[in-house]
Amino acid sequence: MSARNLMKGDLAAWTITLAWIFAILFGLMLLIGAPFGEAIQGFLSGAFGGRRFAFLMATLSRATLIIGMALSVMLSFRAGLFNIGGEGQLVAGGLVSALVAIMLPGPPLLVLVVAILAGMAAGAAWALLAGVLQVYVGVPILVGSLLLNFPIRFIASYLVAHPFRDVASGMVQSHLVPQETWLPFLPGVRLDIGILLIAVVAILTIVYSYRTVHGYHARLNGLSGEFARAVGLPVTKLTLQTLAMSGAIAGLVGAIAVFGIHHRYIDGMLVQPLYAWTGIIAVLLVGMIPWLVPISGFFFAMIQTGAAGMERAAEVPKEIALVMQAVIILFVASRVSGALISPPATDKEDVGDA
Amino acid sequence: MHAALHGIRVRFGPLVAVDDVSVDIAAGKILAVVGENGAGKSTLMNVLFGLIKPDAGRVEVDGRDRQWSSPQDAIKAGLGMVHQHFMLQEDMTVLENIVLCGEPVKWFGMVDFAAARRKLADGFSQHGIAIDLDAKVGSLAVGQKQVVEILKMLYRDASVLILDEPTAVLTPQEKDRLFAILRSFAAAGKSIVIITHKLDEVMEIADHVTVMRGGKLVSSLPLGETSKDRIAREIVGGELPPPIRAAAREPGNIVLSVKGLTVAGQGTQVGPVDFDIRQGEIVGIAGVSGNGQAELIQALAGLRPTASGVIELGGKRIEALHVPERRLAGLSYIPEDRQRVGLALGATVAENANAGRDDVGAFSRGPFIDRTAMARFARSLIDRYRIKVRGPASLASTMSGGNKQKLVVGRELSRETPLVIAENPTWGVDIGAIELIHTELMRMRDSGHAVLLVSTELDEVLRLSDRVLVMYSGLLSEPIPAAKADRNTVGRLMTSRSGDARQAA
Repeated sequence: MSARNLMKGDLAAWTITLAWIFAILFGLMLLIGAPFGEAIQGFLSGAFGGRRFAFLMATLSRATLIIGMALSVMLSFRAGLFNIGGEGQLVAGGLVSALVAIMLPGPPLLVLVVAILAGMAAGAAWALLAGVLQVYVGVPILVGSLLLNFPIRFIASYLVAHPFRDVASGMVQSHLVPQETWLPFLPGVRLDIGILLIAVVAILTIVYSYRTVHGYHARLNGLSGEFARAVGLPVTKLTLQTLAMSGAIAGLVGAIAVFGIHHRYIDGMLVQPLYAWTGIIAVLLVGMIPWLVPISGFFFAMIQTGAAGMERAAEVPKEIALVMQAVIILFVASRVSGALISPPATDKEDVGDA
Repeated sequence: MHAALHGIRVRFGPLVAVDDVSVDIAAGKILAVVGENGAGKSTLMNVLFGLIKPDAGRVEVDGRDRQWSSPQDAIKAGLGMVHQHFMLQEDMTVLENIVLCGEPVKWFGMVDFAAARRKLADGFSQHGIAIDLDAKVGSLAVGQKQVVEILKMLYRDASVLILDEPTAVLTPQEKDRLFAILRSFAAAGKSIVIITHKLDEVMEIADHVTVMRGGKLVSSLPLGETSKDRIAREIVGGELPPPIRAAAREPGNIVLSVKGLTVAGQGTQVGPVDFDIRQGEIVGIAGVSGNGQAELIQALAGLRPTASGVIELGGKRIEALHVPERRLAGLSYIPEDRQRVGLALGATVAENANAGRDDVGAFSRGPFIDRTAMARFARSLIDRYRIKVRGPASLASTMSGGNKQKLVVGRELSRETPLVIAENPTWGVDIGAIELIHTELMRMRDSGHAVLLVSTELDEVLRLSDRVLVMYSGLLSEPIPAAKADRNTVGRLMTSRSGDARQAA
């Protein structure tokens, strides 16, 4: 499942895949009688256009969160840890960072930094909980991390619905975090600097995956847990440390959503847009190859904002756009999954030499 | 019913797994097919059952040539097979499992369980079977699960029953019960085929014995015309390859000492076992696979918890240590399964070569890996062990089996630890790789390392070992010095509890 295999791929097969995707999209359009040209144009402007590129900024803002979650998931998946609790870790990070910023007095920059770090710590702790359940109690990480999504969601709902609710707003949401702690926009555009933080995280995780001893060991564990155990890698330590890193990144994403976009914790704001799940799909789509993850994350953000644009421009219902997204994922996945879930190569010579 | 195989030949690539074998399965008789691992017995029976299409030869049932396109055809024709690994739905009841795929149907497609019960009740009384039809299969003991498998065939009126290693996981009592049922089946006119390598059981139950070795039929005789010794000889057969041992040398201090070690195995207990290995000697553990060797090795390597007993490595107790600490204490491990345990196939040769090195500092700077140093080390292994691969950056999966194994052996032996554990180190590799691996193990011995060799290849054990232990049913025999270890002695211990095996220990 190396990058080379993926990129080399056979061109013909990819062409056929693309042809299928377009054929099905076209068929869907025909079915609902939407003008194809307008729809495409609506998609492109929805994803990249708008006045002063407002829609492009929306795409990038969404991409920031999706890529962040994808990087978080990638670390776990590459280490063979099927941590699908990104959502819970994201919520924990967003919630804790928002509450810290609301309650902690002090200079805004310090409050912001402490709040972000607290959010990362909360995400890490929530991920570690799933790790501890696996290592010491025997709950598989897949199950434990998934189930831990629910309590934290309800804890967050409760906290912003009761003790920390901004009652005057009439919504189920916390008070605003101090305005001075909001992440500033990049010069000239309506895009907060959260994207820079995620860019740094992307570089760090890619370097970590390819170049560090820890990343090397984690990947060996991901390729074969039995191998990692037999050659004496510290599997338990690797597991817990990797999960903590994953969770910390998810927590950071939650904090970015709070300080960059919503400026408070709104019930469901991190759950409904399915950031965590989109991140998982984005990682699987590129077979967990680190440097492709940001591109894949951007691709999904683009499809989502583009679909909204298509709805506006060509009156293609968003549901149809979502069906299209699913079609694209299925086809691309069917091309890539060979590299992803194919059984380990058998050494045929074994039979021959036996 | 009478079934027969004529001139069956099966090839897997260049390997001829079954070579021109003919077998006759008579009604009302119990046929035992025996041989070493890889002798082709399971392959042969898979041909009879329609799981493998033969390249040559024909399957005959009741005088008619048959061509199976799938096992379904064979089942319809009255054949039934119980595989070594049970094919049962654990969450369903015994009755549901039995009628699965052969459900008696009432109106509207309802399953007529009452009819199924009536049908089974007849079989129960006839063959003396007792089982709770409403129990969940997952809650049954292994022996009872096997009964369920057999009932599945009884329910479908199979008249030829093939059982692949039926006693591998059974306790002696469960085995007795199974044999009673099989005898009763035979008396009712069914044909039974048992694939096994346990000679005691062959002598106990078979009417006719077919011995296979290296894919060929060695002999096929009524039990009365052969003997246990003769069968044991025929199983191992052939001449021993020339010994490559240099002059015997005086072994040094004890490196590994195992006292009263017991390990929980699959449904059984392995041990207690006691043995020592000294510097400069190879101790070989012979035995048919599945007699507890895997559990013992995993317990020594730290991959499986020990139940009781002491393991001392270089005078230090290691039974409570984790794998990394044990390796640091002076242990290397060449695992049997290079595909999953020995190598990470999705990683490169260099990444595999450097995994588990004690001197992480040699290929890292701070937290970063030094790919040049990793490649250099991999290159040294490639040259030293004559590994055929494009280079350190190639994926491990691109190597052939023999070269994969050489990489595993090279990585472990290059650590130069006092103790080397080699588990079937030449399983499924070509002659060249076998020679190289054997030579390297001998070199380790000669330079004063202690080597524990566990192998199901009797020849390999006899060729390399200074002392031989035989493992049977989770227990070890007394050590046999190389001079006294011959095929017959060891072969007998491998297949039965007789001889001077220390069974009470």
